[in-house]
Amino acid sequence: MELQVLIEEPVVVAAAVLILGVAVGYLVGKLNKELLTAAGLGEAVEGTPFERSAQSLGTSTVELVARVSSWFIYGIAVLTAIHIAQILDTDDFWIRLTQFVPRLFVAVIVLIGGLIVADKAELVVGERLRSVKLPEVSLIPQVVKYSILYVAVVIALGQVGVNVTALLILLAVYAAGIIVVGTVAFRHFLVSSAVGIYLLLNQPYGIGDEIRIGDQVGIVQEVDLFVTKIESDAEEYVVPNRKVFEDGMARVRD
Amino acid sequence: MALDDVFGDIYANVDAVALFSPSGSYYERLIGADEEVDVIVFATENDVGADAFVELPIEFDEVEERVKFGIEGALEQELIDDGDVLACATEVFDGSIDTVSRVRADEDDRLGIYDLFAKSRAEPEVIKSVLELVIELGKKGQKGKPVGALFVVGDAGKVMNKSRPLSYNPFEKSHVHVGDPIVNVMLKEFSRLDGAFVISDAGKIVSAYRYLEPSAEGVDIPKGLGTRHMAGGAITRDTNAITIVLSESDGLVRAFKGGEIIMEVDPEAY
Repeated sequence: MELQVLIEEPVVVAAAVLILGVAVGYLVGKLNKELLTAAGLGEAVEGTPFERSAQSLGTSTVELVARVSSWFIYGIAVLTAIHIAQILDTDDFWIRLTQFVPRLFVAVIVLIGGLIVADKAELVVGERLRSVKLPEVSLIPQVVKYSILYVAVVIALGQVGVNVTALLILLAVYAAGIIVVGTVAFRHFLVSSAVGIYLLLNQPYGIGDEIRIGDQVGIVQEVDLFVTKIESDAEEYVVPNRKVFEDGMARVRD
Repeated sequence: MALDDVFGDIYANVDAVALFSPSGSYYERLIGADEEVDVIVFATENDVGADAFVELPIEFDEVEERVKFGIEGALEQELIDDGDVLACATEVFDGSIDTVSRVRADEDDRLGIYDLFAKSRAEPEVIKSVLELVIELGKKGQKGKPVGALFVVGDAGKVMNKSRPLSYNPFEKSHVHVGDPIVNVMLKEFSRLDGAFVISDAGKIVSAYRYLEPSAEGVDIPKGLGTRHMAGGAITRDTNAITIVLSESDGLVRAFKGGEIIMEVDPEAY
């Protein structure tokens, strides 16, 4: 009888929920950490500024993400406990909060993910472009980084319910600009590489064959994705592969 | 210090300091110690991020070869002038820099090894990979037995027209490049085939099993080397290719360019 009363006491139930929440949160955090480590997140983010600043604070990206998931569950537990114990008797507040907390959680995760992906992309693009010794080229990794960050921020803000229409329009204009510039500037590259794939797969001509593409006659020295190098006695032509389809090619027999 | 009076002559009044494969801290220390002197770094990779850098294709085991190659490269890149005196800091014994030698750069003294890499049709990376591969092949042989091999690098279109197939080309319609991880194993297996490997400027393996048909006129290679070396030397006169030959009888690796032997290395030394 006494036990029955005790169990029905809201404060006791709230305390139980709180303890359960803490335990589950802790376990989920641990599990997440294991999973993320097993998935190789630690190595993937190695060297990114985010990881480095996390390291300098005595933690790591894996730990941070795991901890965020723990906090999320702690938060839910605390809110549930408050609700059960009826410390704050406002249903309206409660409903809004239950809607808001998961969104905040997703927003934080998106933001962390965005930061890491942006940093990583900057590193990878920078690494790729390192052999290009041109000062202006260092701008490209930065552009890539901030583009990714921008998208991450827009998603995160959208999650927590901030009005992002203006930001979205800006993003659309930006993306459209890149696509337009890209297609105009790289049109020939795209066509050439499409033809290049055909040439590499089917090999209508190989190194050592004498061929004619348009007006250029010579021995094939190299075929790659974008160009075919043919060489006559006096000149070496670098012919874009699209010429092969535009002008046709002929094998010269003697 | 008394020792400085004696050994100081070695590095006194040099025009530049040549560091061979220095560690990052070693390089930093030298740069910090004396800002007046020119420092040139010679290594297989520019790990220390030096401005004046000459790439070595392999870690030459012989100090003399290493220094000579480096000086040829530095002369070619105009990092130093003819007649400049260099203090060359190299490693001889235990893996870190332990020796300083005083060397005078001499334009007339050139062997052309640097030209072999930097001034050939094929990309230096490709030549480097082929050389490494041949050295490896010379060291291990095919299943312990010594093998011979002949690689013709660059100007593949012309080489193909000056040779004929001995059998079906195993690299037909393939897109294998030297330096791909699988290639070493593959080429080792194929090295028991007769004939030459033909490799394009960009490193694509165009063909194996090629019988080279250059005109051997005016090829000057030492007597005693066999038909493989003769063919390898001659094709470099007829085309702009270079050849790297592994001798089956004496196990040495030789490189030819323009019909002449440019380099001779013993794979066992690497």
